[in-house]
Amino acid sequence: MQAHAPAQHSPYLQALVGVGVLLLALALALGAWFIPSDAGYGGVGPNFLPWVVSIALGGCGFLLIRKARRSGYLHMGDHDGEHPYWAGFAWMSAGMLLNAALITRIGFVFSCALCFVLAARGLRNAQATARLGAKSWVIDCVVALLIAAPVYWMFTKFLGINLPGLTESGWL
Amino acid sequence: METMDIWGQLLQGFATAGTPVNLLWAFVGCALGTAVGVLPGIGPATAVAMLLPITTQVEATASMIFFAGIYYGAMYGGSTTSILLNTPGETATMVTAMEGNKMAKSGRAGAALATAAIGSFVAGSIATVIVTLFAPVVAEFAVKLGPPEYFMLMLLAFTTVSAVLGQSTVRGLTALFVGLAAGLVGMDQITGQVRYTGGVPELMDGVEIVLVAVGLFAVAEAMHAVLFEGKTVDSENRMSRVTMTASDWKRSIPAWLRGTAIGAPFGCIPAGGTEIPTFLSYATEKKLASGERQAEFGTKGAIEGVAGPEAANNATVTTALIPLLTLGIPTSNTTAILLGAFQNYGIQPGPQLFTTSASLVWALIASLYIGNVMLLVLNLPMVGLWVKLLKVPKPQLYAGILIFATVGAYGMRQSAFDLFLLYGIGLVGLVMRRFNFPTAPVLVGMILGPLAEAQLRNAISIGEGSALIFVQRPMSLAILVVVVAVLLVPRLVQMFSRKPMEAASGNA
Repeated sequence: MQAHAPAQHSPYLQALVGVGVLLLALALALGAWFIPSDAGYGGVGPNFLPWVVSIALGGCGFLLIRKARRSGYLHMGDHDGEHPYWAGFAWMSAGMLLNAALITRIGFVFSCALCFVLAARGLRNAQATARLGAKSWVIDCVVALLIAAPVYWMFTKFLGINLPGLTESGWL
Repeated sequence: METMDIWGQLLQGFATAGTPVNLLWAFVGCALGTAVGVLPGIGPATAVAMLLPITTQVEATASMIFFAGIYYGAMYGGSTTSILLNTPGETATMVTAMEGNKMAKSGRAGAALATAAIGSFVAGSIATVIVTLFAPVVAEFAVKLGPPEYFMLMLLAFTTVSAVLGQSTVRGLTALFVGLAAGLVGMDQITGQVRYTGGVPELMDGVEIVLVAVGLFAVAEAMHAVLFEGKTVDSENRMSRVTMTASDWKRSIPAWLRGTAIGAPFGCIPAGGTEIPTFLSYATEKKLASGERQAEFGTKGAIEGVAGPEAANNATVTTALIPLLTLGIPTSNTTAILLGAFQNYGIQPGPQLFTTSASLVWALIASLYIGNVMLLVLNLPMVGLWVKLLKVPKPQLYAGILIFATVGAYGMRQSAFDLFLLYGIGLVGLVMRRFNFPTAPVLVGMILGPLAEAQLRNAISIGEGSALIFVQRPMSLAILVVVVAVLLVPRLVQMFSRKPMEAASGNA
């Protein structure tokens, strides 16, 4: 059952990707401008490849825009017909960004568990046909800790990889 | 290298790989590889990338054996998913899915799984023999190559990975140059010049491979799932007993061997990609089948259509280790990350690898033989266990992947900045995934880019500042001609084959 008409790949969005590539090329070229051309030996300096990449990406950006305006990208596969679910994406983004912001403060286990719960919420809502109850929150929290804690122990205790903890004990 | 010498080295390799600790690493790698192969949304490249931080702690031989197990295991596991699940998986197993799915639908899932697993074993083992015999020879030859030739070989790899293999040349090239740009960030190897760091100290050492790989694959995959796949319902085919009848064997064996013969040469050349050999094998099997059997293709599912491509796939993946180990040229996402793993140990794969790190290389090769046997056992009698992984609900699966992504991204440098960067790279990956940009060129460009730049500079300085050096040396000129041909021939063929048709339709 589909509430809307099938989504089409908008040529504007495709052109926007091309514009993005073009902007990246410009930024790279700007950067290349400030890299000294001092060739050292051999005649190819550290600014040579940056210029090659900037110019080539610029060309690609131009071709992508032209393609989007003319025929649209070909071979787009099975993507058509689905509308993006931004609310779920926001949950997942919040999870990842909070994880990045908090990991050194509340430790790996809790930070990752938080990321898990928020991301799972987004994914659950994306799938859900009915309202989800409080039970699903509890399940997610338990599963999150059941994954995050053993992962933390395995990597820090067995493999000696440094991950941040909340306490000095090495277990949390 | 003498044959006896190879034999001696290989035995030495078995002695190293056969220690209990290394056997354990191989086993864990194979099991983990099978698991990530079975689980949708995570592949060998992602898995190896997430585990790259262990290179800071675990000894080189052990971790390379471990990574090789993952690399291999994922190929076995991937076919299970593509046979049982009605969703197109990664390209490597797309062909397997075509016939395998049909077989499963008509109640022959077990036979399809068996021919895939045994075919993978046969092809993998034969291809490992090829690696054993030819890698030292190629290495010996490669020692004679100078910077101009190396640069040309890398150019060839760039061209084939980006412009030839994908569906869109422009998108492939864009991906390649984005990768090259990512490789530029940080301190220039030769002059020490700092490039594109924007004053961020974390970027001095460059962008970590882990971040790019995990961001582009795992994070982008999770984002894509939440945005677009919420309402997608996977249906699973029914399992049946994993056995093959006498007729299945009779039909599979020649298909395995043909698949191996088609797949092995494709891995050896620095061009990469399993799409071409698997499709070629599929087309061959379809053509060779006659009467009733040909009618099975696309309807009930023909066992040859699983056996051949699956063997071709594994043969290609295995022999792809030859260019990786002897030339230091990766041609796929996973081999690019394996190269990154070597670099983390300060080891540069290339012709010298067989002399400087002989024990590591031979242990790695020996572990391929061992891994193949382990995987056969893991995938035939125990396949039912892996199939249970398909029942993991999507929300928990992707959210769990994000936890492992955090381990990989944070564990490498202990920097929370990298986690923000990971999110940003995930966004880029999402756009690429949505608009069908290939990812392999990004990884290959990023890892091979700095090496190619160094070779370019050395080559030019050999030519005393002149780029003519590339056409003055016969070998480098020859590779240059191949590069140009690879770029032009498909287009010319297209142009010429279109013209007569246009003329004909014009006359009509």
